[in-house]
Amino acid sequence: MKKILAVLLAVAMLATLGITAFAEEEPIHLTLWTFQELHTQLYKEMLEKWNANPDNPKLDIDMQVYPYEDMHNKLTIALQSGEGAPDIVDIEINMFANYLKGDIQLADLNDIVEPMEDHLVMSRFNNYAKDGKFYGIDHHIGACIVWYNTEILEEAGIDYRDIKTWDDYHEAGKVVLEKTGKPMCTWESKDCWSIYPLVNQHGGDWLTPDNEVRMDEQVVVDTLAFMKSMLDDGTAVACPGGNHHSEEYYGWMNAGNCASVSMPFWYLNRFTDYMPDLSGKMKVAPMPLWPDGGHKSAQMGGTGTAVVKTSPNVDVAKQWLAYATLSFEGCVDTWLILGFDPIMTDVYGSEEMKAPNKFFDYYDDTIFDMLKTVLDDIPDTCLTEYFPAAADIVRNQMAYDLVIGGKDPEAIAKDCAEELRSMIF
Amino acid sequence: MQVHSSVEKETVRKRNILLDPKVVPYVFIAPFLLFFLVIYLYPFISTILMSFQRIDGPNSVEFIGTANYERLFNRNFKQALGTTFRYAFWDVVVLTIVPLIFAVILNSGSVKFPSFFKSVFFVPALTSTIVVGIVFRLAFGTLETAPANRLLALFGQPAKDWLMFPDTGNFVLILLTLWRWMGVNIIYYISGLQAIPQERYEAAEIDGANAIQKFFHISLPGIKPVLIYVITITVLGGFAMFTESVALWAQNNPGGVGRTIVGYMYLMGFYKNNMGMASAVGLVLLGLVLAVNLIQLIAMGFFKRED
Amino acid sequence: MKHSNRIDGKRKRVRSVFSTALMLITAALLMVPFYFMFLSSLKPGTEMLRNGLSLTFDPGVSSFRNYEALNTYRDGIYWHWYKSSVIIMVLQTVIGLVLASMVGYGLAMYRFRGRNAVFTLVLILMMVPFEILLLPLYRMLIKAHLTDTYFGVILPYLVPPFMIFFFRQYVLGLPKELMEAARIDGCTDYGVFFRIMVPNMIPAYGAMTILSCMNSWNNLLWPLIVLSSNEKFTIPIGMGTTITPYGNAFDVLMPGAVMAVVPIIIIYLFAQKTFIAGLTSGSVKG
Repeated sequence: MKKILAVLLAVAMLATLGITAFAEEEPIHLTLWTFQELHTQLYKEMLEKWNANPDNPKLDIDMQVYPYEDMHNKLTIALQSGEGAPDIVDIEINMFANYLKGDIQLADLNDIVEPMEDHLVMSRFNNYAKDGKFYGIDHHIGACIVWYNTEILEEAGIDYRDIKTWDDYHEAGKVVLEKTGKPMCTWESKDCWSIYPLVNQHGGDWLTPDNEVRMDEQVVVDTLAFMKSMLDDGTAVACPGGNHHSEEYYGWMNAGNCASVSMPFWYLNRFTDYMPDLSGKMKVAPMPLWPDGGHKSAQMGGTGTAVVKTSPNVDVAKQWLAYATLSFEGCVDTWLILGFDPIMTDVYGSEEMKAPNKFFDYYDDTIFDMLKTVLDDIPDTCLTEYFPAAADIVRNQMAYDLVIGGKDPEAIAKDCAEELRSMIF
Repeated sequence: MQVHSSVEKETVRKRNILLDPKVVPYVFIAPFLLFFLVIYLYPFISTILMSFQRIDGPNSVEFIGTANYERLFNRNFKQALGTTFRYAFWDVVVLTIVPLIFAVILNSGSVKFPSFFKSVFFVPALTSTIVVGIVFRLAFGTLETAPANRLLALFGQPAKDWLMFPDTGNFVLILLTLWRWMGVNIIYYISGLQAIPQERYEAAEIDGANAIQKFFHISLPGIKPVLIYVITITVLGGFAMFTESVALWAQNNPGGVGRTIVGYMYLMGFYKNNMGMASAVGLVLLGLVLAVNLIQLIAMGFFKRED
Repeated sequence: MKHSNRIDGKRKRVRSVFSTALMLITAALLMVPFYFMFLSSLKPGTEMLRNGLSLTFDPGVSSFRNYEALNTYRDGIYWHWYKSSVIIMVLQTVIGLVLASMVGYGLAMYRFRGRNAVFTLVLILMMVPFEILLLPLYRMLIKAHLTDTYFGVILPYLVPPFMIFFFRQYVLGLPKELMEAARIDGCTDYGVFFRIMVPNMIPAYGAMTILSCMNSWNNLLWPLIVLSSNEKFTIPIGMGTTITPYGNAFDVLMPGAVMAVVPIIIIYLFAQKTFIAGLTSGSVKG
């Protein structure tokens, strides 16, 4: 027994020694953390192009992929202890406010963002800003749109292009339900991707920049009341599995059980990857409008790529990041590789964006013509340091009480607002 | 019987300090003391300090007295407390009794291929939490076609939205825990049962004892120390449960069923980047677990047998 | 007499059939999720989403292609994770067993000043939620230059309190005569421990080997904080990277999870055989 253990121990030691880092001397070495393996495909492409230009200092970027929640935990620990953080890091939008508290450990990016201001959708940068300084760069707009299952709609005799307002949407839903027995849409019962886009598009939000709670405003009550009216007559149902990212929902939707879904643009690849049977049947369209005002769409979700202040190579890290995410090539590749709606307005309508890819095959090549029509009217979202708390309440209380609890919209809005107020100090 | 060499006897006679009867026990416990002093003492003190601080970055630390503790009296925390207590209660009841029954049967010699079954019972503890979560979410899904709902339909019952309500959610959670940890507790019990000399059972059989009498008069007293251990760590596991709820609900908390005290601590420390508050939650949890375990240990006469 | 023996024999057979049947049914139920995992690992990821929890083998879409793909997924990184997990598991288990069994034995067998204080400390340390110690522990690790090393990962588990507690309880359950007899034979205290008690503690070593391997194998949080190179990741961290808000790589996740179970099963079978053999030849019996 002892011999075996000794051998195992020796093997373990040797293996430890065997793993050595191969660091080249010439290029500048940077570390990048991300929670999304897909993003590294864009970064690798952009790194190659950067290094191909002899004017640029040679870079060697070590890209480390971590599990989603855990990467943020690790980043928190590293920033709190002042050591061990990477040079560049992808931070999820809901978490971003956490890193803008007190003594900010991220570098301000104004010198790379400001020169490009006229070409960018600037409301995406406000999500990652504090006191006039930008700390993160997003990869996409995340404009909310609606996916229609044309097969079901045709069976009910409805052309999705005729749906202009949420009232039209509801009426169409009644016809679909009557003719096919299928619901028009699903509302999430444990997540925020149904409630927040609708409220935000309607002109509402959870907080003001000064952390005044807006959750019990009339616009929230009205939006919830509309959602409830659809639940009440069966044109909307509780989302199987609780949200549009659950395995159960993918299977159910893929089997053609629901006429439409409203999600941010980045949901495109969920259809291509998880709902292959709907290929050719799904069409995308702008969100229906609210009869009483509001906006054409809402921007939801995102990742702010940031540079850590304590990095010894802040300047070169910023330059590369600007090239990878704020350049024309970078934004085109964002669509071609990641399937996102780029943050640069210049690329929309350009020839480069028309290169065939799996998304055009699944839907059709009019995606961007449709998207262009809503880009001029997307409201800001207000992401203060209490936004994570607000998002938590929306997911676990507001959505649940509305979709599962079937409570009165006014009472829901009031309770949630009180809950949020009790957390602000 | 062991035969001892003369070399060993000579070393006994040499008055080595390590052989001094007063020193010997400290040599045995030295690894733990060193380990504690070098590795855990500083983090432990540091955590207690942090629970009285507001920490916004490495250079932005501020003492705020007991404010973190005062803020604990909010709806979320109370809900997490309730969820945890309910779960811990059922966890302890189910996870001490069921594995004990299985361990005794497996050890009684009446089962064919006991090693095979022990291995099979152990496999669930090894499976990836992520995958376990997917399997259980699908099994107890919201649709009528979900396996659990099909089973209900066989008995003419309407479909349930299992994971969306506290009672059924807790039921699934206990089922998941039982599934994952039953084999582990069986291993503990069997190791204890194996230390009971076989002669005691043989003697009892000659006296005409039946299986139940043998269990209560020989097995149970024989494994009492192991039983105490199992209950203690099950109480601990119940109060510190986190992984299983994450497997089922991730960061979601439908109807208040998905978030335990550790989940709340996580939310505070990482999701809201409030390490001071997280430390306060952790210390309250520590106090709770200690108190519950103390009551349990006293009730089992744990401290009596020492004196 | 003979009559009642026959009834006893019959009763025993009935009991044996009943017990075995109970075990079989339970085992079958427990294996369902694992069986599903295995079936899914043979199918393309979208199959699972399409059909939900399917327990029927479908030869049309099943193959070992996903397992082959593990070799090429991100340049075969899965096997790096595998290696890391094995190294950490072996180191952590061997060191933990040796040290914790000594301490547990010392606490159970001797009466000395401060014994209760030390034991209480063991219990407290066992009950501290590890998450709240992360930040200060990590700060220490940085000062000691142990970040991104395997030793840094096992550092908090060198003398695991739960193991000390278990060994202490186990030794308390052993017949006292064993040690008395050895003392009379003239063994030193260390001789008693290594020659008499260690062989008698073999079932406890067996249980703790399995438990320690399992804890180490499934451990996520601390290794994640310590390790920063993707190649040094353990399997749970690596598997976690396949689950993202933008999409899950089920094709990697399922076979990866199945493969991850294999080594512990082997350790389990090996440990069980060795330790049970050790037990029957040990001095407990005679």
